[in-house]
Amino acid sequence: MFEILFKYPWTVFEKGRLVLLSGAPLWLLAALLAAGGAALGAQVWRRSRSGRVVMSWPRAGAIWLLQTALIALLLALLWRPAVSIATLKPQQNMVAVLVDDSRSMSIREGSATRLEQAAAVLRNSLLEDLKKKFQVRLYSFGKGLQRIETLEALEGKAPASRIGDNLKTIAAEAGSLPVGAVVLLSDGSDNTGGISLETIAEIRRRRIPVHSVGIGTEQLERDIEIREAALPSRALADSRLSAVVTFRHRGYADRKARLVVRESGKALASQEITLRGGDARQTEAILFNAGIAGPKSLEVAIEPLEGEEHRGNNSLTRLVHVESRKARILYLEGEPRWEMKFIRRAAEEDRSLLLASILRTTENKTYRQGIANPKELEEGFPARPEELFGFQGLIVGSVEAAYFTPAQQELIGQFVDQRGGGVLFLAGRSALADGGYARSALAELLPVTLPERKGTFAREEAGVELTSAGRASILCRLEERAQNNAERWKKLPALADHQDAGAPKPGAVVLAELTAAGGRRMPLLAVQNYGRGRTAVLATGGTWRWQMLQDHTDQSHEMFWRQLLRWLVAEAPGQVSGSTPRGVLSDETGVSLQAEIKDRSFRPVADARVEARILGPGGSAEVVELNPAPEEPGRYAAAWAAERPGSYLAEILAKRGEEEVGRDVLMFLREDGVAENFRTEQNRELLTKLAEQTGGRYWRPEQARRLAEEISYSEAGVSVRETRELWNMPVVFMLILAMRAAEWLLRRKWGAV
Amino acid sequence: MSAFQRGGFRPFRGGEEDSPAPLPADANEKTEFVFARLRYPSQRYGGYWGFRGSWATDYPKADRQFLQGVRRLTRIHTRSVEQVVDLDGEEIFKHPWVYAVEVGHWNLGDAQARKLREYLLRGGFLMVDDFHGTWEWDIFMASLSRVFPDRPVVEIEGPDAIFHVLYDLDERFQVPGIMMFRTGRTFEQDGIEPRWRGVYDDRGRIMVAICHNMDLGDAWEWADWPRYPERCASLAYRIGINYIIYAMVH
Repeated sequence: MFEILFKYPWTVFEKGRLVLLSGAPLWLLAALLAAGGAALGAQVWRRSRSGRVVMSWPRAGAIWLLQTALIALLLALLWRPAVSIATLKPQQNMVAVLVDDSRSMSIREGSATRLEQAAAVLRNSLLEDLKKKFQVRLYSFGKGLQRIETLEALEGKAPASRIGDNLKTIAAEAGSLPVGAVVLLSDGSDNTGGISLETIAEIRRRRIPVHSVGIGTEQLERDIEIREAALPSRALADSRLSAVVTFRHRGYADRKARLVVRESGKALASQEITLRGGDARQTEAILFNAGIAGPKSLEVAIEPLEGEEHRGNNSLTRLVHVESRKARILYLEGEPRWEMKFIRRAAEEDRSLLLASILRTTENKTYRQGIANPKELEEGFPARPEELFGFQGLIVGSVEAAYFTPAQQELIGQFVDQRGGGVLFLAGRSALADGGYARSALAELLPVTLPERKGTFAREEAGVELTSAGRASILCRLEERAQNNAERWKKLPALADHQDAGAPKPGAVVLAELTAAGGRRMPLLAVQNYGRGRTAVLATGGTWRWQMLQDHTDQSHEMFWRQLLRWLVAEAPGQVSGSTPRGVLSDETGVSLQAEIKDRSFRPVADARVEARILGPGGSAEVVELNPAPEEPGRYAAAWAAERPGSYLAEILAKRGEEEVGRDVLMFLREDGVAENFRTEQNRELLTKLAEQTGGRYWRPEQARRLAEEISYSEAGVSVRETRELWNMPVVFMLILAMRAAEWLLRRKWGAV
Repeated sequence: MSAFQRGGFRPFRGGEEDSPAPLPADANEKTEFVFARLRYPSQRYGGYWGFRGSWATDYPKADRQFLQGVRRLTRIHTRSVEQVVDLDGEEIFKHPWVYAVEVGHWNLGDAQARKLREYLLRGGFLMVDDFHGTWEWDIFMASLSRVFPDRPVVEIEGPDAIFHVLYDLDERFQVPGIMMFRTGRTFEQDGIEPRWRGVYDDRGRIMVAICHNMDLGDAWEWADWPRYPERCASLAYRIGINYIIYAMVH
């Protein structure tokens, strides 16, 4: 319809520029318009007063307006309005037609697959129409771009689709070929997670419009898709881990589903979840035991529900390295206390923890336990970094702040901040505010601001309750289910004592509160990250009651302490700490291996020889040397290619001369074709943005017939600037007739004819 | 009274004091450690009542005099007075260290034996003292075997931490009771050799420390009597203190 009225398609007006061809000055047009308007005004006024019928001012004004508009239109036509637009020269330009050949295009919707839908769009004249005007090159694309001659070459088996990378290739070809436009037929599922700004900028620089034809349903009717499963990349053996699973579903509101964590097909944990209504993403956490040491490939899945349209997106694989190391914790206690006995007992049950302790039994004697050799801690609390930094965690019991020398206090600060260790401060008659910590250098480390008074420790019983943060935290989880866990905490026996630890600092999190006599609530367990490490305050020395006042088979006390101690040391790095920015390589090979090397005092080691021994799928092995990163002492890196899909395990080994500094293990996974199973709904947003940002347009398949015409108007490739006159547009004549007819009708109605 | 209910000193009003001692002014102080004396039914007198039960031997003077030493010699925050506990209520679970004397006469019922077993499995520690010879050993074992039918009583070897946790007790000898001044012998009945025995848990920690053929309680009680040998009183204090600290850290 638009084209009938206006002679040209909308694109001509959208992309073209209005010009006046007569060459006469515009001021003359304005002057004639003003003169004509005035003359008509005078005539209308005179007639309205002298005729048989006297018209009111508004009526006379309307007549004048119609006549003036007609004059204006005719005058404008005399100036010869036209649209100047760039058009591609016929048969001198190349149009690249890119068809997504990835596996997601094999999804069947109704009677046809997406690929068949795309082929149908091309066959139903689009391809022919394009060929009439341009040289057409047909490509299929997945991970890479491939020239094809016929549509029969499309298979829908490519393991990935990289729209951005392939458009970049086309843009590069445009340097030597007159690429006038790109027609992209795709479901918009890009496995690299989007199209980079760099790619967009390159296409824009070459002025190549990308016209995207969206294939596939924009919203599945019944589907569950896991979007992310967050797990720690490493854990101590037997750790309780939490997999935080983010997913969305369509069409299953209020239905029950089963969330599972599996290792080698064997379920480690299973949990029923309720799918919430609405389009919003849903997040659920599932707890499971990490089990014995070793590399683990874990599948996090939501069991497919009946009628689900696509089941390949119901699970994700994640790697967890369960470490065989034993984390060492130093516990300094200023007086014999029951809490120490029961903390030791809880730690002894844990194969991944080693608890060394120094107990002040008398004013001048200490008793050491858990020491590695008779000389260790012989001089009391460590005064040298290499001695303290051999531990990953530190517990400070009922011991005055002044017991530590200023140098030792500074050392504890470095232990957390630089070494990345964890420090737990317990309550006691010589601890926290009563121990003089509020005015010591150690106050900085605490997650709470201590009261500025003494007498904060009371041997009075206190109840405990989790905060909302504590209910969500794995650290406080005694029961699998959150609701049961909160109830179990409420039923724990009263603490033997408690201490007012003050108020939490900004950034700290209170996981549990205690209720003292009179109902006053105070922080019981507060935690925070500090520098590279973490600190915590437990405002009691009386959790031992949880052990002594419950059946001996009850594990509340042991579980709490093991989890707290593991939390304390879980993130403490060794002297060699390996990492890789991405643990899962989706349809790509490049992996960046990085390592931080420290000496026993945790100072960066710049002169180490660092290598990664990589074990890959099928027993493949390779040694890669990591080179020092420029201007980052102690950091080493290497780029490596994981040639085969599967799990890789890299042992990073650092040496100084012949002396081994340390070693670490990291894991990564290369998976091909898996990402294609995700985000299977048409990504219209991506296709639309891509088209808009490059000067093209998003087309639905049924609109695509007009695409060939529209492509003609492009500045890319070999183009000429054409001028399209507008005076003979049908709409102009219709407007003239309409104005005259309107005037006549009005005059008749008002009796002024 | 309300202080007593919240964990302070609750005097035992059974009238069974064997060796009276004044109540210290700070008896109600709330402390980390409380000397818990186990009140058990004894075979000798039948049940708890009648003439004083054997559980109260040396009570309360031995307890209070020993605690003075604990306060003076260690950093243990201890109450100056003992607390009498039994195996009929739940109070004992608030005291992870408990002392039983003259267990050569104890006679635990099945329910009491079960409770003592539960107490020990939760992490409680029992020190028994002042019983002598084969006859009293057998009586002691008759009840203990109901507590732990499946755990052996073994000798505590010299290197065990319990003999080194504060004092190195490599040279131990028989600590005699006050009976020595009447009989002229350091031993009683046929208990000639002092034996330090124990029942261990599955992780090698002592749950029951058995001081057989010695009378540490008398040594504590009579430590202020000039005629009682200082070296015996000293060893008794050291053993008692070591046993407490051991129980608080193992």
